Amino acid sequence: MVGRASLIMVMGFGIILGYIAWNLNDYATRAVGNMSTYHYSTQSHNLAVAGANVGLAKFYQDTSWLGSFTQTLSGNQGTGSFTVSRTNLSGDHALLRSVSSYNTWGSGVLHDTVDVIFDKTRQQSFSMFAWMTNFEGNVFWITADTVWGRVHSNGALHVNGRPVFMEKATTSKSFDPKVGTGTNKAIFKQGYETGVAEIQFPNDISELMNASTSGGRKYTSEIWVTLSPGTSADGDGKAYIRTAVAGPIVDSISLGDVSFNGALVSTLRVHVKGTVDGRLTIGSQNNVVIEDDIVYEQNPSAGSSNDLLGLVSNQNVIVANNTANNSNCTIQACIFARSGSFTAENYNTRPVSGELRLLGSIVQDERGAVGQFSGSTITSGFSKRYRYDTRLNDPSFRPPFYPGYYVKTFAITNWWESYRVAFTR
Amino acid sequence: MIVLGANDIAAETQTVYSGDMLVQEMLTGTVQILEGEFRNMGYGLGQLQSTVLYADSGRISFLSDLGRDGGVIDTITYSVGDTTELHDTQNEMDRYLFRRINNEPVLRVGVVTVFRLTYYTQPGELLTTPIPADRRSEIYSVEVTIEVQNPYAPYRRAEMVQTGERTALYSSSLWQQTRLASQNLRR
Repeated sequence: MVGRASLIMVMGFGIILGYIAWNLNDYATRAVGNMSTYHYSTQSHNLAVAGANVGLAKFYQDTSWLGSFTQTLSGNQGTGSFTVSRTNLSGDHALLRSVSSYNTWGSGVLHDTVDVIFDKTRQQSFSMFAWMTNFEGNVFWITADTVWGRVHSNGALHVNGRPVFMEKATTSKSFDPKVGTGTNKAIFKQGYETGVAEIQFPNDISELMNASTSGGRKYTSEIWVTLSPGTSADGDGKAYIRTAVAGPIVDSISLGDVSFNGALVSTLRVHVKGTVDGRLTIGSQNNVVIEDDIVYEQNPSAGSSNDLLGLVSNQNVIVANNTANNSNCTIQACIFARSGSFTAENYNTRPVSGELRLLGSIVQDERGAVGQFSGSTITSGFSKRYRYDTRLNDPSFRPPFYPGYYVKTFAITNWWESYRVAFTR
Repeated sequence: MIVLGANDIAAETQTVYSGDMLVQEMLTGTVQILEGEFRNMGYGLGQLQSTVLYADSGRISFLSDLGRDGGVIDTITYSVGDTTELHDTQNEMDRYLFRRINNEPVLRVGVVTVFRLTYYTQPGELLTTPIPADRRSEIYSVEVTIEVQNPYAPYRRAEMVQTGERTALYSSSLWQQTRLASQNLRR
């Protein structure tokens, strides 16, 4: 009797322990399964990202490439492949798609996708940059410098201190010193990029010069342009032309005149001052000289405004050293100095001139100086107060015949990666 | 006695294994969707649009075109609740992880004991949370730390519990994705 009871008890415990052992085995299997599945998913995803990067490298070597290719990878981490294809989308967009195929142990083949979408927009305006140079010279961005708007240089950007870049800063070379090292403590509100493709300056300002002879105005002497806001009505500003600083008015242009296309140029030096009411680009094959404040009738930083001025020089744009400019100078315009600089005349010998308050954008071949400092104390010239005119973010909003450039590389506008929703059982 | 002892140990082991299993499944389930949505943060936005609307150590709101329909931009919010919202479980540290899309009802997407977000700029500077509006555009990568613990666990005998220790054997699993960055933040 006792023996039978013992036997039943032992069998009972055996069954219970067997059940527990089976459960433990199942838990162990599922735990390994979970880990493996997560690992496989990650591998498949990484494979798709690798495919996207390989595809991007191929695409940027030849942006006309269309088609697809497949590459297989094998190694200790498992075997898989990715297929990359490049197609055109509607509008000005292109798509590069990478699809991975990752062989798993027992779970079949996993696929992940990465889509990279490009903007093929061709022409951009230089006015989209708050600051752009071909060459920065040996001038440093320092603490207390703040730039609103995009910054780009085809050369190296030198930093000493903690300047703030409110929009993306790019350079075709590098930052000197590298970001986050040495004296470079710059703050990038929208990030930065180094080694980007150079943005080539035009070889001349012929587009503007040609426009001046077909609906604009072209002079072959040195001229002094005084801008007048006209009445309080919108867009009825005028430009008065003189051929001597205190000479008589030799020409008058109504900016609202539909037969005037907005291009006003001279083959020699052009002097400018006044209030802009309308849209106008003033250009010179020589230098553009700012003689006094240049402001918009409607200040865009105080409300809506459609006034817009471009100052385009084949050489330099210079803030004159005169009485009017030696107690602050306000400039509301897009400045383009094709082969020279935006600079202040006698910046290192003129008196301390207060603030140079600019609203617009500055594009120049070589960074020019507007003042001289001893430590943080200004000893001559201007302190900079530059603000970007955010209306210029839209490349279609630019002064008439303002220089543009062609994008050599397609810009990545969007990047999407597939992902899985919970796989637990 | 030996058999009873073995049975006791086996039962406890099973409970612990079961807890480990549950914790692992909760974690992987939560992580996959979060990881995917963070990677696509900012998808479909214009170059000048701000991606991150709010960023704190336990809450983030950002924009992304979830449906990829080329027009409707969604607002996605992840936030962690308070431990008092989860009285039902034995574990006093667990809390809900919430996910909300636009103005739709808030969804509970997981139960966690730690959900911590830290934010870095492109040069690698750690941003102090909550991040003020004028610095949100500097966010370049997000470090996500999630810990999940078993909601239930076998109690420990009183004589085994040292000062400062918890009274039950909670399984836990930690997941940390360092520098989780959306390519859309790098444009």
